[in-house]
Amino acid sequence: MGETAQMAARLAMAGDPAATEHRVVLEARDLARYYGVKRGVFRGHATVRAVDGVSFTLEAGRSLAVVGESGSGKSTLARVVTLIEPPTGGTLRLMGKDPFGADAATRRELRRAVQMVFQDPYGSLNPRQKIGAILEEPLIINTALKADERRERARAMLAAVGLRPEHYQRYPHMFSGGQRQRIAIARALMLNPRLVVADEPVSALDISIQAQVLNLMMDLQAELDLAYLFISHDLSVVRHIANDVLVMYLGKPVERGPKETVFERPRHPYTMALLAATPRVDPDDRVKPQIIKGELPSPLNPPPGCAFNSRCPYAQARCLAEVPALRAVEGRLAACHFAEEIAAKGT
Amino acid sequence: MALLEVRNLSVEFATHGGVVHAVENVDLTVDEGEVLGIVGESGSGKSVSSLAVMGLVAPNGRVTADRLSFAGHDLLALSRGQRRAITGRDVAMIFQEPMTSLNPCFTIGFQLVEGMRTHQGGSRAALRRRAVELLDQVGIPDPETRLKAFPHQLSGGMNQRVMIAMAIACNPRLLIADEPTTALDVTIQRQILELLLDLQRQRGMALILITHNMGVVAETAHRVAVMYAGQVVEERPAAELFRRPRHPYTAALLEALPERSAGHRRLAAIPGVVPGLGDRPDGCLFHPRCARAVDGCRRARPALAPDRSGAVRCILPLTQPLETV
Repeated sequence: MGETAQMAARLAMAGDPAATEHRVVLEARDLARYYGVKRGVFRGHATVRAVDGVSFTLEAGRSLAVVGESGSGKSTLARVVTLIEPPTGGTLRLMGKDPFGADAATRRELRRAVQMVFQDPYGSLNPRQKIGAILEEPLIINTALKADERRERARAMLAAVGLRPEHYQRYPHMFSGGQRQRIAIARALMLNPRLVVADEPVSALDISIQAQVLNLMMDLQAELDLAYLFISHDLSVVRHIANDVLVMYLGKPVERGPKETVFERPRHPYTMALLAATPRVDPDDRVKPQIIKGELPSPLNPPPGCAFNSRCPYAQARCLAEVPALRAVEGRLAACHFAEEIAAKGT
Repeated sequence: MALLEVRNLSVEFATHGGVVHAVENVDLTVDEGEVLGIVGESGSGKSVSSLAVMGLVAPNGRVTADRLSFAGHDLLALSRGQRRAITGRDVAMIFQEPMTSLNPCFTIGFQLVEGMRTHQGGSRAALRRRAVELLDQVGIPDPETRLKAFPHQLSGGMNQRVMIAMAIACNPRLLIADEPTTALDVTIQRQILELLLDLQRQRGMALILITHNMGVVAETAHRVAVMYAGQVVEERPAAELFRRPRHPYTAALLEALPERSAGHRRLAAIPGVVPGLGDRPDGCLFHPRCARAVDGCRRARPALAPDRSGAVRCILPLTQPLETV
């Protein structure tokens, strides 16, 4: 763990240490979220380790992408980071403060600093509210602003996300998917958050619209110095928007590091498999197809040792016996016993 | 001779707001053993065109075509009963949502056997044997026990395999797959695509793959038709289309892909939105969003004009190879 923490610190602090320290928005240490599940009268309880031992640091103006398939724990991680659920282990620090140990006033303040954009822009906006009301609701709840001030802020925000002032009076059904996602982003930004958690924000959008929304998110990040925790299964989107990447499998981090390092020289077999499975338009970009067998094992009954061993083409006896630690491998962290050997074999 | 030939297909729906054209003047051909990719964004009419081929358009829809023929049969001239004997047997279809396409109240085995009983018949034991064989072919482990499983007991990927097994049960000559992998994770998507292509090659079956994912078509299709707002705007062999698109929409779509923007901070987004069913512009449907539009584009709908390797619906098609940035 000591080495892991040091490595993480090195990865996080590329620039001047004092300056970066100050810019850290989110810090997770060994974060865990377990759920107890009843399995029926005679079988007793089981524990689902939805998030297990996740650590990272995220600074203002930077994006961390969390990548993994369904069931990998990425949405649970988002729920913990947005303070919807408390972690069952580890620590979470937002702007240097522990929200779950803090008093109510501090927690309230921290809640404002973290906002969320959801995947489905059709389900996440109330169809009975006008856009103006949707945007002003966070202000009504969290601030003492007067009606005309709220209205002014809402209109300014509409302009900032590329919508027109007359849209203030309209209902969500009058907008296209891309426009709705702009509204959802506008709502998330109404309280001037420091961190925006975006859970698959463009996966429901068409390609041409996806590009517009990604551009908007990157413009807003530069303008407002936002930190993004970007959850996605689409590796080409992640490659475009992220600075750092965290790959998760069955609740555990399997690889984490700077985007270029992870994408160009993946060192965990699961990352390799994800990259190889992503369909590419240009034949030159295609990776030698390496189809991994099977599906994600049940989180109620994960395989012993490395969670990926049931699908890993390189699995050996040690992988079944021993849980691999997340350790430094060539400029990133990877949780694989044989990362170096596989790399030497592969390329 | 083409296995499926569609000439000038149009589909209109009568709605409260008047008649809307979901599909306009679509021409498609599929040869025996060919993989045709149809790409397009939502509302481009790619699903409705295939539903029209299957005869599954909702009752308020009106399907017209100059020609709609499958393996020599004129589908428009057949009675409903005659047509049903073909669709489901010689032409089969799988859909995007495996979870909702299967009936939750019946076992996998029951649903698998149902289609075969209708189209081929046979003893219960023979049908059951065939069902086990099919599940085995689509890579479902332990097929004997799976016959008794209900859809909710299987994962999305497994349910899609069951859908594929149902679709190939009667040895179709054409399989239409409408977004077969969109609801699935990437590693499972890869497995399902490989399965479809394996089956297609083994059986010499033709495959129409409908998707919005450019990468999926690029890796699987022999020929690609690009649809926009109810029309085919470009059609040519896959390698050629992705290297040298000629329609400005195809080119813009490819440039908007994050994977084509390596090193660039901003993506080349296409301004505006896909026109809805009710607000289609005059002239070329793409002209309001097209950077190359001129006066002529606003006046008349361009025709789909054949060129050396395919066809393009544009009066000013691109001639230079696309600059790959």
